[in-house]
Amino acid sequence: MPEAAVLKGTKDGYEIILNDKAEYDEIFKSLTKLLDNLKTQTASTTPQKIAFEIQTQRRLFNAQERSEIEQIFSKYSDFSIHKINSDVVTKEESAQIIDQKTVHVIDRVIRNGQEVNVTGDVLFLGKVHEGGKLLVTGNLYVIGEVKGIIQAGFPNVEDKMIFGDVHNAQQIRIGEQFEILDDTKSADKINSSSIAYVNALHVLDYGNVEDLNQINPKFFNQIGGIING
Amino acid sequence: MGKAYVITSGKGGVGKTTSSANIGTALAMMGKKVCLLDLDIGLRNLDVVLGLDNRIMYDIVDVATGKAKLAQALVKDKRFDDLLYLLPAAQNTDKTALNEGQVVEIVDELKPDFDYVLIDCPAGIEQGFLNAIAGADSAIIVTTPEISAVRDADRVVGILEQHPLKEEPHLIINRIRTHMMKDGTVMDIDEITHHLGVELLGIVFDDDKVISTSNQGEPIVLDTDNPAGQGYRDIARRITGESVPLMEMKDESKPTFWEKVSGWFKNK
Repeated sequence: MPEAAVLKGTKDGYEIILNDKAEYDEIFKSLTKLLDNLKTQTASTTPQKIAFEIQTQRRLFNAQERSEIEQIFSKYSDFSIHKINSDVVTKEESAQIIDQKTVHVIDRVIRNGQEVNVTGDVLFLGKVHEGGKLLVTGNLYVIGEVKGIIQAGFPNVEDKMIFGDVHNAQQIRIGEQFEILDDTKSADKINSSSIAYVNALHVLDYGNVEDLNQINPKFFNQIGGIING
Repeated sequence: MGKAYVITSGKGGVGKTTSSANIGTALAMMGKKVCLLDLDIGLRNLDVVLGLDNRIMYDIVDVATGKAKLAQALVKDKRFDDLLYLLPAAQNTDKTALNEGQVVEIVDELKPDFDYVLIDCPAGIEQGFLNAIAGADSAIIVTTPEISAVRDADRVVGILEQHPLKEEPHLIINRIRTHMMKDGTVMDIDEITHHLGVELLGIVFDDDKVISTSNQGEPIVLDTDNPAGQGYRDIARRITGESVPLMEMKDESKPTFWEKVSGWFKNK
């Protein structure tokens, strides 16, 4: 019978793998034994603090089980938990991830007084009337007509962008930065190939799709799905 | 079984009550049996516009609370033989005196006896508005070419989209001043209709006589020569299913040749 808790060195540090076939009691026992051994070993050399990554394989620990592991670690002053990882996620969590990664296509009229909140990116084909609000946690790609208030990176993420012709909008918001287009001359700068983004000085700025790799290199490199590129 | 329309706008003063009175009267002139329901409780006007204010015995709150029977509270317009009735609003209380269920009950009781039930909605989007739309099969949204009225109409269309009635709403653009639309100083008919995305039921030109006739308790539709009255008569015909072309905008500042000629004779 292999040990329920096994230490493994990785390029990022140390990892403790908790066997997903083992009983919980067995895991906690085995983990204590492992840490005891480690303590005596490290005590002989120079004492140093070590943060471990816990890998639970195909098992999800609930809050109580996590706190039990944390308790075991709290007995060792030199050891701590860096994070607890697992190879699996709950359906709920995966649905959230899918939501965040999906580009949602929205084709409706958002009228005066209406507020539409979306998790993830949005390809907007509809209309936002004056007084309507479209608040998106991700990026916002606008093909439709915007005369109301739009926000990307809702409520406070500043590395999101708004693409497209939004020069008729009342307000453009990204994260916590906003611009009232009536007060500025920005509307003249915006056309169908515009990008609204927050620059390095935390100021809302406008650029062109051609310059996307300079405006947001991370996003540019991330764009996937190309088959023969 | 009749059909119930709510006449609403969001904004006040765009002509909901005037439109209710005129469309109701126009339908009665066409021989339809019509009941007008005033839901502007506390600020009733529909009775005044129709010239029926001195005939009120009971009101809608009396009916809802069981103090009076529906038939007792209905006020008959004597100009139309048994065709036009009004259920007046209460004046001594406010919009919260009624709830949606009571209005639905009253409208459902009226519908079998009438061809059309027209519900005059109060301004705003509070309880009074909710009461008014609760009993309706369809909505007629009244707006004027003013931006503020169009914004409020947009809000109302949004609310109606979230609580859809049996039928899609219709739009009336009221108080059109031809020269302002031609100058482009106000939104034109196509712009408003396109912006709101609601089917246009009709247009009504602005006319001083609308006010003067309503002051006498006589809806403008009774005046057969008046363009505003014509607008309402066209609307009534469209409600009954006729297809009537939209009235053309004549530029009142520049009379046509024949109008000039007839003008010379009138002056002499």
